[in-house]
Amino acid sequence: MNRKLITIVFLCSISSSALAFDFGNIDLGKALGVLQKTQQASTDIDEPKELELGAGIASNLLGAAPLLKNQRVQKYVNNVGMWLALQTERPDLPWQFGVLDDNDVNAFAAPGGYIFVTRGLLAQMRSEAELAGVLAHEMSHILRKHYLEAIKKGARTGLIAEFAGQALENRGADPAFQKLVGAGTEVYARGLDKDDEFEADRMGVVIATRAGYDPWGLPAVLQTLQGMNAQDSSLALLFKTHPALGERLNLLDRLMTGQFDEFEKQPDHAPRFMGVMGKTGILKR
Amino acid sequence: MRLLLAFCLSCCIFAAHSAETAYTVRTTEVKAKPFSDADTLSSLPEKSRVEVLERKSGWMQIKTDSTKGWVKMLSLRFGDAAAQKKSGDSGLGALFNVAATGGSGSTVSTGVRGLSEENLKNPHPNPQAMKELQRYATGKKGAQNFAKSGKLAMRQIDYLPPAK
Repeated sequence: MNRKLITIVFLCSISSSALAFDFGNIDLGKALGVLQKTQQASTDIDEPKELELGAGIASNLLGAAPLLKNQRVQKYVNNVGMWLALQTERPDLPWQFGVLDDNDVNAFAAPGGYIFVTRGLLAQMRSEAELAGVLAHEMSHILRKHYLEAIKKGARTGLIAEFAGQALENRGADPAFQKLVGAGTEVYARGLDKDDEFEADRMGVVIATRAGYDPWGLPAVLQTLQGMNAQDSSLALLFKTHPALGERLNLLDRLMTGQFDEFEKQPDHAPRFMGVMGKTGILKR
Repeated sequence: MRLLLAFCLSCCIFAAHSAETAYTVRTTEVKAKPFSDADTLSSLPEKSRVEVLERKSGWMQIKTDSTKGWVKMLSLRFGDAAAQKKSGDSGLGALFNVAATGGSGSTVSTGVRGLSEENLKNPHPNPQAMKELQRYATGKKGAQNFAKSGKLAMRQIDYLPPAK
């Protein structure tokens, strides 16, 4: 039995070396590596597909919470958001920002440049710099493709490959697309990795500073939320899907100390923010 | 009904008041002015209770029984250190809102909508709102003009590495 096995192994090794010789000394290891890379490439979601997936997820989010019916507020948030986007490595994405008419305190990003903030979160803000900090945090999730990674992690590889490999047409009927959009929407209920949130905090502060705002906007919002009643139902989803606010504040405290002193004179544009929000009934204070 | 309203009002007033109470999360220097190189007036130990009077960038003007000055914003957390009780309750705030305006938010009137886990797990697309969203978008030029009107100047600063 053993002798038989040895013979087989021996024959195999001869034949494989003969093969290698026949094909002009192809390095099998290298060839396998290339094959693996090709497989990996087929699960890479390119930008047009990222946009398409993001549009599907954003549409679902708007199915859960409608847009606030206030053009001035919507335009204002888009102006702040687009100015921030111009300070990033993806200024050419078709960035779109929306205020959701919902009491929940939260903000969301979808792949491809969709960013939403709820009326409930706006109500807790004091200035344009605070709004900028929140938008820049969400923007960072898109810049670093955190949602795409979360979707990939949760979905079958086959499903991603199917979506990534298909042509961009008749997507509505494509089951792979529909499943991934559903999975992407569900990430909002589950949350991203803690480290993704910490990274978005670090990047958000920098993007807002680059845009000329007072750097302390994002930490100020987080600090306000931390001071709210933790039992408040409007915070439930945010608390469930994000690391503890105290931990986020401690990390920002350590990172920002000393580094941002030179930017403290940058404007927070509190009066402009209050001017836009003033008569909308959004602000509760 | 009147009692309920009075109760809500008093809660709101209480919430608004207590929102200004904070405590230190570390030993905190009290400065004469909101700058790192300003004179240090005193030092507060961890878990000191303070009243927040004003904000300026990364600084908060505070008052205690013995001192008044500026501290780093992130050396403070709102609420009560001892009980870790959180201040503010927008649940009651929302109730008061209804009482004051006589109407309720659209999330209430649509009933099944809302950013609940169930809705996010069983989503329904809203293509009409997507079209609306697109109408609000700003181009690069528009954003630059907006920045100019607010005298927002671009600054150079690299992304930060993770905290060690």
